[in-house]
Amino acid sequence: MSRNLTALVARHSSLGEPTAVELLAQAVRERGAVVADDVRDVAARTGLPEATVHGIATFYDDLREPRGALDVRVCTGTACFAATGGRHVAELSDGLGLALGERSEDGSVSLGETVCLGFCHCSPAVRVGDVVDAGPQAVARVLSREPRQAAEPQAQSLLAEPVLTRAGDWSGLRRVLAELTPDQLVEEVAQAGVLGRGGAAFPAAVKWRLTRQAPAAERFVVCNGDEGDAGSYIDKQLMEHSPELLLEGMALAAYAIGARHGVVLVRSEYPRSRPALEEAAERARERGLLGPDALGDGIPFDVIVVDGAGSYVVGEETALLACLQGLRGVVSSRPPYPAQSGVRGLPTLVHNVETLCNIPFIAARGAQAYRELSPGATPGSKLVCFNERFARPGVFEIPFGTSVRELCEDVAGGLRDGARLKAVQIGGPLGGILPASLLDTPFDLEPLAAVGCMVGHGSLVGFDEETGMRDLARHLLGFGAQESCGKCFPCRVGLTRAHEMVQGDAAVDRARLEELLEALELGSLCAHGGGMPAPIRSLIAHFPDELGLA
Amino acid sequence: MRVEVDGAPVEVPEGATLLEAVRAAGARVPTLCFDERLAPFGACRVCLVGVEGQDKPVASCTTPCRDGMRIDTRDPAARRVAGAVVELVLSELPEPPAAHTELAAVARELGVGELRWTGRVHEKRHDMRHPYLALQNELCISCGRCVRICDEVQGAFALTATGRGFEANIAAGIDAGFRDSTCVSCGACADTCPTDAITELSLLALAGTTTEEAQA
Repeated sequence: MSRNLTALVARHSSLGEPTAVELLAQAVRERGAVVADDVRDVAARTGLPEATVHGIATFYDDLREPRGALDVRVCTGTACFAATGGRHVAELSDGLGLALGERSEDGSVSLGETVCLGFCHCSPAVRVGDVVDAGPQAVARVLSREPRQAAEPQAQSLLAEPVLTRAGDWSGLRRVLAELTPDQLVEEVAQAGVLGRGGAAFPAAVKWRLTRQAPAAERFVVCNGDEGDAGSYIDKQLMEHSPELLLEGMALAAYAIGARHGVVLVRSEYPRSRPALEEAAERARERGLLGPDALGDGIPFDVIVVDGAGSYVVGEETALLACLQGLRGVVSSRPPYPAQSGVRGLPTLVHNVETLCNIPFIAARGAQAYRELSPGATPGSKLVCFNERFARPGVFEIPFGTSVRELCEDVAGGLRDGARLKAVQIGGPLGGILPASLLDTPFDLEPLAAVGCMVGHGSLVGFDEETGMRDLARHLLGFGAQESCGKCFPCRVGLTRAHEMVQGDAAVDRARLEELLEALELGSLCAHGGGMPAPIRSLIAHFPDELGLA
Repeated sequence: MRVEVDGAPVEVPEGATLLEAVRAAGARVPTLCFDERLAPFGACRVCLVGVEGQDKPVASCTTPCRDGMRIDTRDPAARRVAGAVVELVLSELPEPPAAHTELAAVARELGVGELRWTGRVHEKRHDMRHPYLALQNELCISCGRCVRICDEVQGAFALTATGRGFEANIAAGIDAGFRDSTCVSCGACADTCPTDAITELSLLALAGTTTEEAQA
C-alpha cells in the first residue's frame, strides 16, 4: 500500500466520511457508470490524485461495468453452479438479451455477475437492485420483472447452549469491565485458544498481544465482513441476525488492545448486512454500550461500517485495509503486519466476523468453558453451512471434530430427492474437495488438512452425480482468474493459464498442470493464488479421468 | 546481524532484507519488480530464495533478515518457481521483449527459452501523444515500478495501476494519456520500466535521427 496515498487519505478525510470507493459506487448508483467527471469529483473530495481514483474505479466489480435502471446481477458462486451447472446464467442472459457485463442500449437493463450473494441454501440466486430472489423459479420471476425477496434460513445450534447462534446480550462486556483488566482479557483469550475463523486459523491472542504492544496513540479494531468465499453465508447470518454479538466482540477486543474505533467492512453483495449492523449500533449507542463511555471510566468506543465494492481478494487482510481506506483492494506484502501498521498506518487488529463473535462467550464464561465446547478438538464451536443440494440446507453451530459424514447425512439430511453425494467442497473456493469415499474424516483442522482440505470458512458445498469434475475445475479456475487482484505475477498470469488448460475437452497435460500449481502455491503473494491449487489437486487425486488428465 | 548466503557469512544491519544480504555477500538473485530507489513491493516473485527451516521459498526483497538465517539462492524449488513465473510473464506479451530490456535479461539468466504457453495475450494499445514519453500497454507486466516511482520519487502521481487479474495494466491520468495527466515529463517511469512499455522518445528520434547516426 502506498504510504503517500494512505497519508493523503488520512489528511483529507476523517474516519466515517465516505471513502473514494463508496463515492464512486454512489456515482454508479446515480448515473449507471463512472465517467471522467466522477473521477475528478471524487479526486477533489478525497484529496487523492485523479489517476489513483481512475485506478480504483477500474478495480472493483461494482464500479467497472455499466448499470441499467434495472440492474440484474446473477450469482455465479459455487452453490449456484452446483444447483444448475451454470444454466441459470444462460437463461437470464438469453431472456434479457444481454451478455454478462452488458447494458441495453437504452440503458433500461443491465446484466452482471456476482460471487456470491449468500443465498446458497436456495440457489440459484439473482439480485435485482437490493432484492435477492433465489430458488428454481428465481430466473423466471426476474425475467417477468417480479422478483421477490428470498427467505433466510434460521440458524440452529447442535450445542447444549448456543454460543454463536444467539443474539448478543452484552453480558460478556459487562463482566469484563467489572472484573478483568485488558491484560487479563488478552490472557483469557490466549487460554481459550481461539483460532481465526476466516480461513487461516491464526491464534487470535497472538494478534491481540502484538497490537496491544505496538506503540501508538491510537489503535483500531477492524472486522472483516467481506465473506467472499462462495458457498459460505455464515458471516452474513451473524451480521444480520446477531449484530449485537459482533459489536460486543468488537468492544471486547477494543478494550483488550486499547482501541477507540472499530470499523466493519461489509461486502456490497450483502445489501442487508450494513443496515442490520447500523441499527444494532444505534441501539447500543442509546444504551450507552457504544459511544463516549462504552468501555467505562470515560473510555470511548464506537463502530462505523464501510462498504466494499465487489472483490474476493479484499477478504485478505491487507487488501481489506486498502479497501476500507478507499484504495484499490490489492494485497501488500507483510511485514509490516496490520498489528504494526494498518488503518492510517496505525496498529490494527483485523478479525473475521465469526472470530469476534466467539469473544463474548469467553468474556462471560471463561476460557475453560470455551475449551469444553469441543472436547479433544479445536477449542470453541464452529458455524457450518450447507448448499441447496442438501435436504436441510442452512447454518448450523457444531462442535469441532464431528465427522463430515455426520454433518452431511445427519445434520443436513443427505442430498435432496435421494440424490447421491459425489463430493463436497469445504471452506470456500480455496478449500480442497472431499470425495464421498472420505466422508468419515472429522471436521477439524488437522484431519481435513491430512486429506488436502481445510475448515476454511466452514461452508460445505455438496455436488451430486450431475456435476462434471472438469466443469467444476473450469468454474473454480474461472473464478480464481477473475478475482486475482493482479499484483503478484504467478497468480495474475498463472490462474488465467490454468483456466485455459481446462477449457474445452482437450486432454490436460498433467505434468504441466502440476508445474503450474507448484508455481502458484510456492510463488503467490497471498492465499488466493496460493490456495486455488488445493481444489484442483483434490480433483487430480480423486477424479483424474473426469478431469481429462493425460 | 550475521546471516549466511550460500554458505558464506555476511554482516547486515538491523532491518536489512534478504535481498540486501544476498547482494552484500556478492551473490545474485534476479529481480523484476525491484528498484532500489523504491520501497520493496514483492510482486514479481522472481527473487525467491530458500531459507533454512522454512518449508516454502520466500521473496527476498520483502523478507527481513533474522540473525543466524541461512539463505540459499540456489534453492531448487525457488529457482524452478522463478523460471516458471518468468515464462508465464513472457506469455502475456504479444511479442517477445526487446533484447536490451531487463525482462529479456532475466529470462536469459533463468534459461527461459521457448514459451510453452499459448492463450490470451495483452491487447495492443498505444499512447503516442506525449512529446517525450510513449506508452505501449501490451508490454506492461504490472511490476508497478512506474506507478511507484511517480508516487515515491517524483510525487507527481500521474500514473496508476488499472484493472485486475490478467487485465491489470497501467494508465496515465484518467486513462487519457501522459499529455492529459499530471505528468511532469521527468522520465523516471521510462527509466525504471523493465520491458519498454514506457519509453522515452529522444529529441534525436523526434528529428528522425537515430543515436548511431548522431554519434557518427
